[in-house]
Amino acid sequence: MSRVLQARGIVMTFRNGDEETEVLRGVDVELATGELVALVGASGSGKSTLLSILGLLLRPTAGEIEIAGQRVEGMSERARAAFRNQRLGFVFQFHHLLPDFTAMENVAFPAAAPAGGITPDMRRRALSLLDRVGLADRADFPATRLSGGQKQRVAIARALMNKPDLIIADEPTGNLDLRSAGQVLDLMGEVNREDGGTFLICTHDEHVAARCDRRIQLVDGRVQPQDEGSDHPD
Amino acid sequence: MFALKVARRYLTSNPAQTVLLVTGVALGVTVFIFITALIEGLAVRLTDEVTANSAHVSLEPATRLAEILPGDPAVRTEGVALVSTFQRRQIRAWRSTAELITRQPGISALSPQISGNAFLVKGEAVQPVSVTGLEPEGLDAITPITPNLVAGQGALGADGLLIGTQLAEDLGLTAGQPVLLRTDRGGERLLTVRGVFKTGLQSLDSRVAFLSLQTARPLFDLPEGVTNIEIKLDDPGRAREVADFLAGATGLRATPWQDKNLNLEDALEAQGRTGTLIQIFSLISIIIGVASALVLSAYRRRSEVGIMRAFGISGGFIVAVFMLQGLLIGLAGGLLGCVSGYGLCSFLASLTDAEGNAPLPIAPERGGYVAVLILTTIGAVLASAFPARSASRIDPLEAIQQ
Ligand SMILES: Nc1ncnc2c1ncn2[C@@H]1O[C@H](COP(=O)(O)OP(=O)(O)OP(=O)(O)O)[C@@H](O)[C@H]1O
Ligand SMILES: [Mg+2]
Repeated sequence: MSRVLQARGIVMTFRNGDEETEVLRGVDVELATGELVALVGASGSGKSTLLSILGLLLRPTAGEIEIAGQRVEGMSERARAAFRNQRLGFVFQFHHLLPDFTAMENVAFPAAAPAGGITPDMRRRALSLLDRVGLADRADFPATRLSGGQKQRVAIARALMNKPDLIIADEPTGNLDLRSAGQVLDLMGEVNREDGGTFLICTHDEHVAARCDRRIQLVDGRVQPQDEGSDHPD
Repeated sequence: MFALKVARRYLTSNPAQTVLLVTGVALGVTVFIFITALIEGLAVRLTDEVTANSAHVSLEPATRLAEILPGDPAVRTEGVALVSTFQRRQIRAWRSTAELITRQPGISALSPQISGNAFLVKGEAVQPVSVTGLEPEGLDAITPITPNLVAGQGALGADGLLIGTQLAEDLGLTAGQPVLLRTDRGGERLLTVRGVFKTGLQSLDSRVAFLSLQTARPLFDLPEGVTNIEIKLDDPGRAREVADFLAGATGLRATPWQDKNLNLEDALEAQGRTGTLIQIFSLISIIIGVASALVLSAYRRRSEVGIMRAFGISGGFIVAVFMLQGLLIGLAGGLLGCVSGYGLCSFLASLTDAEGNAPLPIAPERGGYVAVLILTTIGAVLASAFPARSASRIDPLEAIQQ
């Protein structure tokens, strides 16, 4: 099975003046293509920090990362931005849609901005993605007139726009009611199954974690060994 | 261009704020145009008043200086210059000179003259006058006299004299009466006042007498030459240039009208500086207005911009979005300001007082429209550079974590 992501020995130490906070103390993560993986752990355990590092939004203090066969440590900020644009998709707890644009424009944005405009191909893809997330009839709605769940589904469609190798989601259902959360989760499962998208989802929600292929648990800045721990109590 | 679309969308998403911003820019532009048109109009009016009644370039014989031996350059040579007095100062070859001048483009009129000082004597009354002897057919070439006659007529004839109202009053003269002219060359002749004019210019109306060139010759002892040649141009603004050229071409001393009216030039320059100051301040206020609006807008859109950065959209794109907003605001405000500025100036220029004169000498066509449009647009784009740059540097994490 091919690997989408391999991260080894990720260390993250925040410095605030004299004060040092070691949030990650040597984290190894591996994701195979087409996996749906939950990242869990207590609040403050460093989940968001790890996602930011794996999403090339934050540079770790130490560690090696390879995504889609490419080492990313040496990349310039510009190259990292281009890499994020081409290879990664993001879904956040808050949808962060652009309020002045329609659902379709929001979805097409990550492709349109670098290309200088929404081409007919982009429009077609954006519309089919909206169809995929069940919002074909909302394509021309301004983002502000969508419900919370609909916005989050548009955000997922947007994350998929540039056919990313890896989709990183930080508590994508954290801000939604049960029903909307269920829909968003169903959707990610579907995309994962049908299109083979690789997902790394950080969540507090046991339902979400339960529906993933496997889970990575962060404890005290390290990955807790999972191997059937619940089945074989000490 | 997608950045342009985003910039437009940002501007239209908050129409009230954008309208306010564009109006502010337009107001600044209107002030700029008003001041420019006023200063220019004032300059035109003052210049017109001066140039309408006097020569634009005057040609006289160059002052002959006694030869000076080269010496210590530190010694100011004026200190030892001696004006040669051996020869009569006159333009002998005035006919060929006049011909040469007439061949130059942009010359509208030319008048060879004999100018000198004299006294008008009537009974016991004596008044000093500046006498101008000119060709009768060129009487109005430099100063419009015929249209300003209040008595008599403009035909000079062999013994005719035209004087101003003030002078006529001082000597108790009216058209048709004889008067004795005694020149500083010792010439004396009884002449007839043919007409009395009133130009409204104190110096002309009280001190000048016109007679024909032929009449002046014996009186000033100049059988062939003239003392000066006065020239009018199509464009008085070129006087300096033409004077320089003529001085070189004829060897005569050429004086542009500006040099005879240094006070006017100083006044115009002072006015111009005041205008420039106001123009600069209106541009600065435009730039500050646009900059502060865009700084606020960039601040409000931090999280949006941050998310764009998270999606790997380049800093250049974000810079473009904000600078294009500046450009659009500058263009819209500039164009609107040009329209309102022209409207305001045209309205003010159309106002007339009881006598039918415009109280404000505004020149609406001289509002500096192209300049202000370009300056405003450049200013607005520059004003957006700082907010654009800071927006492009927003850390995506900040946007996501809030
Ligand atoms: N920029 C920073 N400077 C200093 N400390 C930081 C910084 N960012 C995060 N931390 C610390 O790192 C730790 C992990 O934060 P992180 O947001 O990754 O936790 P989390 O697992 O996502 O928590 P939650 O489940 O509540 O979202 C926290 O103790 C936090 O205070
Ligand atoms: Mg978190």
